[in-house]
This record gives sequence, structure tokens and C-alpha cells, in this order.
Amino acid sequence: MRSVSGLALIGLLAVPFIWDSFTAYQLGLYILYGMVGQGIALCWGRAGFLPLGQALFFGIGAYLAGSVLRSEPGWLLIVVAFAVACLVPALLAWIIGALVFNRQTGSGPYFSLITLALAMLGFQLANSMEWLTGGFNGMTGIGGLPGIDTYETLYFVIVGVFACTSIALAHVLRSPFGQLLSAVRENEDRLQFFGFNTGLLKAFAFAVSAAIAGLAGALYAPHQGIVTPQAVGFLLSAELVIWTAVGGRASLAGPVIGAVLIGFLAAGLRDDFRYWEVVVALVFIIVVLRLPLGIAGFLSQMLRMIGITVDRPRKPERTNELPPNSSEAAPDLRFVDVYAAAGPVKILNGLDIAIKHRGIHCIIGPNGAGKTSTLNAMTGKLPIVGGSIHWQGRDVSDIRPYLAASLGIGRKFQVPSVFTGLTIRQNIDIALWANRLSLSDQFSMEPYRWKTALLDRLETRFPFLRDDDQLAGALSVGQRQMLDFAMTFVTEPDLVLLDEPCAGLSTAETRQMIEAIAALNTETRSTSIIIEHDMDVVEQLSDHVIVMHNGTLLANGTLQEVRDNPDVKKVYAGGTK
Amino acid sequence: MELIALYGLNLVYTIAVLALVVLGLAVVFGLLGVMNMAHGEFIMLGAYSALIIQQAGLPYILALPMAVLVCGTVGFLVEYAVIRHLYRRPFDTLLATWGLAILIRKAVEGAFGRDYKSIEQRLPGTVSVLGVDYPAYRLALLVVIVALFAGLLIWYRRSNTGARIKAMVQNPALASAVGIDTAFLSRATFIFGVSVAGLAGVLLAPLVRVEPYMGLDYLLSSFFILVVGGLGSLEGLLVGSTVIGGTDVVVSAISDKTAGYLSILIISILFLWLRPNGLYAKR
Repeated sequence: MRSVSGLALIGLLAVPFIWDSFTAYQLGLYILYGMVGQGIALCWGRAGFLPLGQALFFGIGAYLAGSVLRSEPGWLLIVVAFAVACLVPALLAWIIGALVFNRQTGSGPYFSLITLALAMLGFQLANSMEWLTGGFNGMTGIGGLPGIDTYETLYFVIVGVFACTSIALAHVLRSPFGQLLSAVRENEDRLQFFGFNTGLLKAFAFAVSAAIAGLAGALYAPHQGIVTPQAVGFLLSAELVIWTAVGGRASLAGPVIGAVLIGFLAAGLRDDFRYWEVVVALVFIIVVLRLPLGIAGFLSQMLRMIGITVDRPRKPERTNELPPNSSEAAPDLRFVDVYAAAGPVKILNGLDIAIKHRGIHCIIGPNGAGKTSTLNAMTGKLPIVGGSIHWQGRDVSDIRPYLAASLGIGRKFQVPSVFTGLTIRQNIDIALWANRLSLSDQFSMEPYRWKTALLDRLETRFPFLRDDDQLAGALSVGQRQMLDFAMTFVTEPDLVLLDEPCAGLSTAETRQMIEAIAALNTETRSTSIIIEHDMDVVEQLSDHVIVMHNGTLLANGTLQEVRDNPDVKKVYAGGTK
Repeated sequence: MELIALYGLNLVYTIAVLALVVLGLAVVFGLLGVMNMAHGEFIMLGAYSALIIQQAGLPYILALPMAVLVCGTVGFLVEYAVIRHLYRRPFDTLLATWGLAILIRKAVEGAFGRDYKSIEQRLPGTVSVLGVDYPAYRLALLVVIVALFAGLLIWYRRSNTGARIKAMVQNPALASAVGIDTAFLSRATFIFGVSVAGLAGVLLAPLVRVEPYMGLDYLLSSFFILVVGGLGSLEGLLVGSTVIGGTDVVVSAISDKTAGYLSILIISILFLWLRPNGLYAKR
């Protein structure tokens, strides 16, 4: 991969000598657009949310750099101006992202439309604030960089900056942060249950993309010598997304290929062919429908068909063993008179539960008793309308899912929920990082070397976990259950919530799972709450049984005590109490 | 007193027009989950249908069936070729319809040019209401919009088709299992939504600048209304129109258009932050 990138760089540097400096000048502009596209690819191809107004940041960078370059400044001031041209868009993007992503998971259209609206606003402001931007006619008289000829040598500066940002972006994509963004795209809800604030991860990715767009815009100002409101508008924003999509959003090369290819084609065809942009729009629709990875994806598929594969870089060996993560404190979970409702339906109806001992606690009860809702209420999935929930002395009544996870509450859902588009190794990495990854770790390669004693034991118990490069989506349902289960325990939670862990498993797998639960619960000295319908499983595992009915606690105690309870007998014999 | 009456009429008028504009998108996005980025372009197609009728010298009333014909045909083709494959994939529909928006814009620009077109007013003059002389066309438009909404509301609540649509929205798999042709119903709903957008275009054409890029403003204001009001109910649509339209009118009167736009954008961002499902969330 590295040699291909090196060749591409040499090729770019040779352009002015092979063709002419005017071609290189044009190419410089398309490379700047391609840089913005790389930022879009980071957000869209990697993290799965699409910014539609990226020209806003490009334009802000251009206006900022332009206003400084008008006064023929020295290099120091230029460097400061370029830094500001990166930081202002980044800050703006971070604030918008943090606000919009706060309560919205998934990649819905809301974010995209907000960014589009912002670009529209930027266009209006650039037009109306004549004193600052020069209004409709644009900011003119922008000088070049000192000592650099705009039509000869500026191209090399652009290629140099482009190479640097590409290398930096490639590192970000390889780092744990990049892998977490993939996990956001695959299954944002699950990632929150590993303790990651996904809204902030996305906001940060958006800020990085805005910084790159700002930098490209800052170079655009001396390149063009004029900045008009078009540079912030939605039309450029639209074209940037099209170039990224057609070139390929999943790689760093794709957006640049798209921008350069369509750029040169448009320069040649736009004036003679009235419906040129209709054709581009049609190509874009076809790419969305049939070729989601664009030209770059198509090329790498072609290469694979003729037998050339680009090796995935091998992940480093796990050499750095981390200490165990569990706390020594005895568990203290209390539900006090908890109510929850969905519309007119009461789900939890004055529920009181207290768990103060380690071990395995099973929740049983008829369908609709509120078992899963109980777990949802304590992990921020279900807002409660009355009462309170406490864990280790902290009120967790309206906690957010990622915070519940960071308080040591691990959860496995009934339907296996793993990152299907990622490999087993990547899935486990993410679980291993839960509650352990610091901000600086997110950009270091060190966390890929991490391992724990518990992980070793899990891999011995479930040997398929060592099959590093297998995609999680290619596993059978039973194996996915086990992977999900292993990931939940790898985080070494103090409180483990398992919702029907044996659902969908064969008899042999069920036996294996029961053994694993019992063994891991003892090894990690954790507290487990298990929802289970299968009384054989309950009999083998439970230290303590909680029976729920109609959203309240019906009985609790040992399995024998519960069995002898007359209320329980009534409910299970078909009565309604 | 007259000034207050004038402002009041303007406010009601703005809200009614917004409600008309958003209706098509509310149907397509709220019921089908398709974020139709080409919504504004269908309004634009409606306005250009009126232009064609005017240029042909035909009675203006024919612009209404013309718009339904144009938007319905385009809507049918788009549903058949693109949307059909993308139900329940909101992100891809966003992209595909966005490509479609660009395509329609550029095609219209290629065919009619980029310049502003003007559509003649058919109801010139004013009518005196509450002591204010108010443009007759605006008043007529107000009446048409109220009638349209009332009719639609009654039809949706009472009719069999309304019930089928509700069933499909709630549970498409079950709906098709009990014999509802969801593929057909989705297509019909989509075509209905874009045709309503086209009708809005015809009705608004005499009052606004008609040009290939006019649709974008309508898309964004429709979107803001749905963010504030929430999806899936007419109440939400009206409340959203009131909040967005009211803010825009008041702030624009105090300051300028850009400030009005900025304030509704900020309101929308705050709603996404604090109440992501809007005021009337049904889903």
C-alpha cells in the first residue's frame, strides 16, 4: 500500500514536467477539492454520517486566509492565519456535531440537512456582509504566498500539504479512533454499551473533516486570488459530495480520483454540452444504487479479480498484558418504586428490587412482565417516570447508556449484537478498550497490543475467537451469541446483564454457554443478572431468583423458595393474581 | 389596529403557505420514511407546469392537472426506478433523491434557462378584510389551503385507504400478510406526496420567483417544520408551521431575512439537541 502511495506522489510531482504548468495549476485546484472530499470520506465512508455542507468550512478557510493575504504579510502571520483557518471551522463543526449528535444515534437525514442549511446560511451571510467578504463580487486582490509563484510553484506547495494531510488521515483511520468510527457506522447503539460517547466521537470526526476543508480553503485563496460566496455555497457542497461518492467514499484515494476526473472532464465538456451536469447527477444516482464504493472500490475489485490483492496490514501481536479491571466493592443495586410507561401501557409498575450479593441472579416471569424493561431502565434505554434506581450509591435513574457502561454495567442483548462488518479481532479490540482507552490512546497504535488474562481464558473456551480476520457477520447465530457474550465479559464489568443468553442456541451450545457463564462469574467475581425462560438453565445457574409479574416484583429468594410461593404458583398456573 | 390586523393576516397567510409546502414532504417522509431531498424540485416542477400552461395561452386552472400529470409521471418513474429499492434504507434514499434533485434542477435549467420567470396573477386587486385591503389571490389561496387540509384530514380518518396506509406504516410485514398490497400503496403514497408538492408549486407560482433553484428553500423550510413538529401527524405539521413561520415573520420584520433564516436554523438545531422527535412524535 505504501509503495502505491509513493508512486502516486512521484506521479503528481512529475505532472508539471510531463504536461505543462497550466495543467498542474488546474490539477492543484482539483486536489484541494479532493482534500475536502477526504474529510467527507472520513465522516461518511468511515463513520456513516454524511455532511452535506462541507463548502461552508472550505469557504471560511478561504475568506480567513484571503483577508490576511490581502495585506502582503510575512510568513509568521501566514502560518498563524492558516492555523486559524483550520481551527475556526473545526471548532464550529465540533459544536454543531456535539449538539446534533447528542441525542440522535444512527445516521439519519437530520444531520445532513442541518449542514446543508448551514451552507445556505453561510452563502447568505457571505453575500450580505459586504464590509467583510466583499459581498456578491467577492473578496479580491488576494496576494500569493511570498516567494511562491501562483502559476508555477504553488502547485508543489499544494501537493506537499496534500501529502501531509493524507498521511495524517491514514494514521487516524488506522488508529483505534478510526476503528471506533467503523464501529459507530456498524452499530452505534452497541458501541455506547461499551462506554463510548459516540456523539462526541462523531463530532470529533466532523471537526477533523472541517479542519481539512478549512486548510484546503486557505490554499484556495492564494490559488484563485479571489474568493466569492460560491466558495461557501451549497452548490460546491453538492459537487464535493458527488466527487467523493463517484470516486469512492471508503478510501482516501477515492475522493481525489473523483475530484480530478470529474474536474478535468467538466472543464472540457461543460461549455459545449448543456446537459453535462444532468449526466453527472445520473452517474451519481447510479453509483448510490449500484456502486456504493465508487470508482476506487470498482478498481480494487477489478484488481482482485485478476489476482492482485492489496494486503491488509497485519495487526500487531498482543504482547502487553493489562491488569484486571474489576472492583472489590460488593454490589449494591436498588430499584425503589420504579414506574415506566410507553404511551398508555404501564411497563414497570412500582418495581422494588435490591441486589447486594455477588453471584448469579435470574429474573423470570411471564411474557410482558417487564423483565427486559428492567434492564433497559437501568442502562438508560427506557426513561422512568417515577421512583429511582441506584447502583453503588449513585442515582442512575436517567443515565445515558455510555455512562452506565462506564460505571461498570455491562450488557448483552437478547439478539446478538456485534459489529458485523468488522473482523472478530476488531470486535474484541473494541470490547477490550471499553473503559480503558484514554484520549491519547485513541491515536496511538499501542492499544492493538493489549491483552488480558481473561481474554486468554475466553479464547481457550471459544477457540473460534482466535480466527482474527473472520468477519463477525459471517459467523453463525450461535457463534455470534458467544462472541457477543465474550465481548461483554472482556470489558470486566462489575454488573453483567444478560438477556436470554441461550436463545437460539443448540443443546450442546446451551451447555457450553451455561458452563461459561458459571465459570466467568466466579473468575471475575462479578454480579450477573440473567433473564431466562428455560427453568433448567435457571436451576443450574441461579443463586437467587426474582419473579416479576405485571411490572412488579412478585417474589424473590432461592429457586426452591420461589417454587413454593403460592403467588408464583397462581401466575404460572394461568391465574392473574 | 389596522397594522395589527395586517400583521395577523400576514402571519396566518405565511403559516398556511408553509403548511401547504410541507404537506408533500410530510406524507413522503412521515409515512414512507423517505427523506425526499427532491421535494423542493417537485414544487419547482409544479411552478414550471404553470409556466408551460401560461406560455401555451391556456386557462390557468389547467395548470393544476398539468402539475399532477408532470409530477405524477416523474414520481412514478422515480419510485419505480429508484425509491422502490430503498424503502427502510433512509440514508440511501437521502442520497438518491438528492442526486435526483440535482438532475431535475439541471434538466430544467438546460431546458428553460437559469433566469427568473414570472407567472401572471389571475386574481388581481384587493379585498377588504378587518379594515385591511388584502390581496385577493392570497385570500383565495388561504381558503383553498384550509379546504384542502380539512378534506384530507376527514378522508385520512374515515376512508379505508387511510386505514390501510396506517396499517402499512405501523407494520409493513403484517400489513402485506393480511392482504394489503404494500408495494402498490407505497407507490401511490409517494406519487400522492410529490403531486401535492406540484400543486403547491402551481398555487405559489404567481407569488414567487420561478427559477430552477427555487426548490431548495422549500426543502429546508419543510425540513425545519418537520423537525419542530415531529413526524406522522397533521397537528405536528400545523404546530411546526406555526413555530417556524411565526419566528421567521417576526424576526424578519424586526431585523432582516438573513436573521430570520438564522433564527429558524438555530431553533431547529436546538430541537434536534433537546427534543429530537419534535413536539408531536407519533413514532
